Amino acid sequence: MTSTSTFQKEYEAWLEKTKQLLEKYPERKAVFQTSSGIEIERLYHPEEPSSDYLEKLGFPGEFPYTRGIRPTMYRARYWTMRQYAGFGSAEETNQRFRFLLEQGQTGLSVAFDLPTQIGYDSDDPMARGEVGKVGVAIDSLEDMETLFDGIPLDQVSTSMTINAPAAILLAMYIAVAEKQGVPKNVLSGTIQNDILKEYIARGTYIFPPKPSMRLITDIFAYCSKEVPKWNTISISGYHIREAGSTAAQELAFTLANGIAYVEAALDAGLAIDQFAPRLAFFFNAHNQFFEEIAKFRAARRLWAHIMKNRFGAKNPKSWQLRFHTQTGGSTLTAQQPDNNVVRVTIQALAAILGGTQSLHTNSKDEALALPTEESARLALRTQQIIAYESGVSDTVDPLGGSYYVEALTDQIEEKAKEYLKKIDDMGGAVQAVEQGYMQEEIHRAAYETQKAIEKNEDIVVGVNAFRIDHEREPELHRVDPAIGARQAEKLKQLRARRDNDRVQKTLEDLKRAAATDENLMPPILECVKAYATIGEICGVLRNVFGEYTGI
Amino acid sequence: MKKIRVLVAKPGLDGHDRGALVIAQALRDYGMEVIYTGLRQTPEQIVAAAIQEDVDCIGLSCLSGAHNELFPAVVERLKEKGADDIIVVGGGVIPADDIPFLESKGIKKIFTPGTPTLETAKFIERAVYERDGYVPSEPFQMKQVAHIGIAVRSIEESLTFYKKILGLSLVHTETVESQNVKVAFLDGGNLYLELLEPLNEKSAVFKFIEKRGEGLHHVALGVTDIEARIRRLKEEGIQMIDESARPGAEGAQVAFLHPKSAHGVLYELCEKEG
Repeated sequence: MTSTSTFQKEYEAWLEKTKQLLEKYPERKAVFQTSSGIEIERLYHPEEPSSDYLEKLGFPGEFPYTRGIRPTMYRARYWTMRQYAGFGSAEETNQRFRFLLEQGQTGLSVAFDLPTQIGYDSDDPMARGEVGKVGVAIDSLEDMETLFDGIPLDQVSTSMTINAPAAILLAMYIAVAEKQGVPKNVLSGTIQNDILKEYIARGTYIFPPKPSMRLITDIFAYCSKEVPKWNTISISGYHIREAGSTAAQELAFTLANGIAYVEAALDAGLAIDQFAPRLAFFFNAHNQFFEEIAKFRAARRLWAHIMKNRFGAKNPKSWQLRFHTQTGGSTLTAQQPDNNVVRVTIQALAAILGGTQSLHTNSKDEALALPTEESARLALRTQQIIAYESGVSDTVDPLGGSYYVEALTDQIEEKAKEYLKKIDDMGGAVQAVEQGYMQEEIHRAAYETQKAIEKNEDIVVGVNAFRIDHEREPELHRVDPAIGARQAEKLKQLRARRDNDRVQKTLEDLKRAAATDENLMPPILECVKAYATIGEICGVLRNVFGEYTGI
Repeated sequence: MKKIRVLVAKPGLDGHDRGALVIAQALRDYGMEVIYTGLRQTPEQIVAAAIQEDVDCIGLSCLSGAHNELFPAVVERLKEKGADDIIVVGGGVIPADDIPFLESKGIKKIFTPGTPTLETAKFIERAVYERDGYVPSEPFQMKQVAHIGIAVRSIEESLTFYKKILGLSLVHTETVESQNVKVAFLDGGNLYLELLEPLNEKSAVFKFIEKRGEGLHHVALGVTDIEARIRRLKEEGIQMIDESARPGAEGAQVAFLHPKSAHGVLYELCEKEG
């Protein structure tokens, strides 16, 4: 038993703190109630808390944040509805962004095409067939200006799924903002910037681990001074899970990567509380409803302990694990795609009950192609229905105290700790990645999953059970195959028009800086402003750093 | 027939290789030799690797939507190198509308999400066999173990053991003159035990007992279409004691495989009416 007085004291302190917060940030409604007129309390808790209640759960907004990082959670503000979008040219994606904002989306999330993500210009032979396919093609600042045309960057927060060339795209964003008259210290958004999971699961790496880690810590250092509201990294379990891992592996490998970034930043001379508040996470939400909720809760508790106890962070913001969630792409089926709407709903609900800060809900047709406008709207509507109609966000951590959810939370945490110990013993995440340890674990889990489906031990509705013959083909989104040629033509004109001496000079400055341990953000910003292309900038860095070729 | 060799390849810049890795593993488990290229391979690199590794088939995986450009480019390079006997199949996030186009460009088959890996493996196997003009036999299908034959000196004496001690019931006894044996069938629940007693010194069972004493003699497999089975076994190089079926006990048609061809076991094929 926690002595009731200790609990009462803490509870009253929390109430007082919450009261003050409410004056600044009021809740959505003065009173929340059910259809029957029952008043919904902000927080439900046991009458007689057990001895470890404060240690394991505590109060929302308080260490170890198991019940959420804010005292009022969605009673104050819903999660950010942030749909990942991007395809074809900057013009087309700009239109989709405006459409999504008109539909009530509250943040932008940019998908870049693979050549952009791997640092090739659209006219590079390596880019053949890939231009504009999985995201928008960005070759230079010019494309970025078009992408955000008419979108005031001081009023939206923008998430960019960009990793190896994150510094370049961030620099472009800063440059576009400057042209809009928006200073960089008000910009808010996120770059994914998580290279370790690229080696593990996603595959859009360019440079070897060491210089890649250096680029990341350069961004940390630069942003902590210049772009203080920017989330400098989104440490991602999403792709690890998509590659086939279990929920516990997703959590463990993500936090292991997080630890590696913290250590790299500390080694680079940064102070923990200088960069840790800007670390963000990105998780997956799959179908196993309660396990997913437990995973999110365990993630917060584990990270809070790691930051406080292992790294000695003092700022509570450094202890708080903030995360974005995307529903599980690999759970979507090409068969009976309408069924995917139901899967997405379950997964979205798990993310919300797990306390996510922002959410992307997948479109039903993503196992077939990029989403159509109609299916993208339905995906957004799914979140809106959960938010505005279901009432699940009217109280904080509604599943806290469930015997099952708390037991699962403890057990997922334990399993993750075992993996973290193993990875620590190997010398950390970078070494584990280089030895292929995580890759092997994930591959094994993926193969087991496939075999279980093929033996009908796991049922996937519409795939190995409840099938229908002769399914109707849905309408799919098509990327214009001529986009590659158009981008190439744009590049040709740009190269003819820009000040090529200035481009050469900024590229040479970058080359010189890359060979030293100088922060690379300022010289990259200069290259970008001179309209050097992604391929040119990455080309310089490839020459200095070398290329990673896999294991 | 040598092992089928497959190159699993990721053309283009797509980094999603869960599917490629799963397929590679599944084809290996099926008995093929599989080489995985790793990520970001150009069509030229894939074709060079395929030729160098002397593969029968290339399996392309692409989830980025670049399949319409990259898959046909692989087939074209194969033709340029005179290596278009290599079969090309593909998979990934590929809309149904694109499949006829890809097939018209020489991709033998597109496997869409949700295809069981076994289906892919069998398709590749069949395609390679067809290309090589190799006609594989249907695997030998036996219905069940019909009975187990046990050589005894005297049925009458041994029945005491089987009936009194083991509690099995006697179903049927018979003399099979052509084999120089007397047989007794006992109900073993899921199969019969067949006791074999030599009628005279010409009997094979007599020689068996002389050489090795009483004991397990043969395993009888229930089959249909026994003559076809015998032909098929002979094609596979199995040595038969009986080149064609002959009458056995209970009106069955029987034929024995030589233990040399059957890992030391004397197998009997046994076809009964009905």
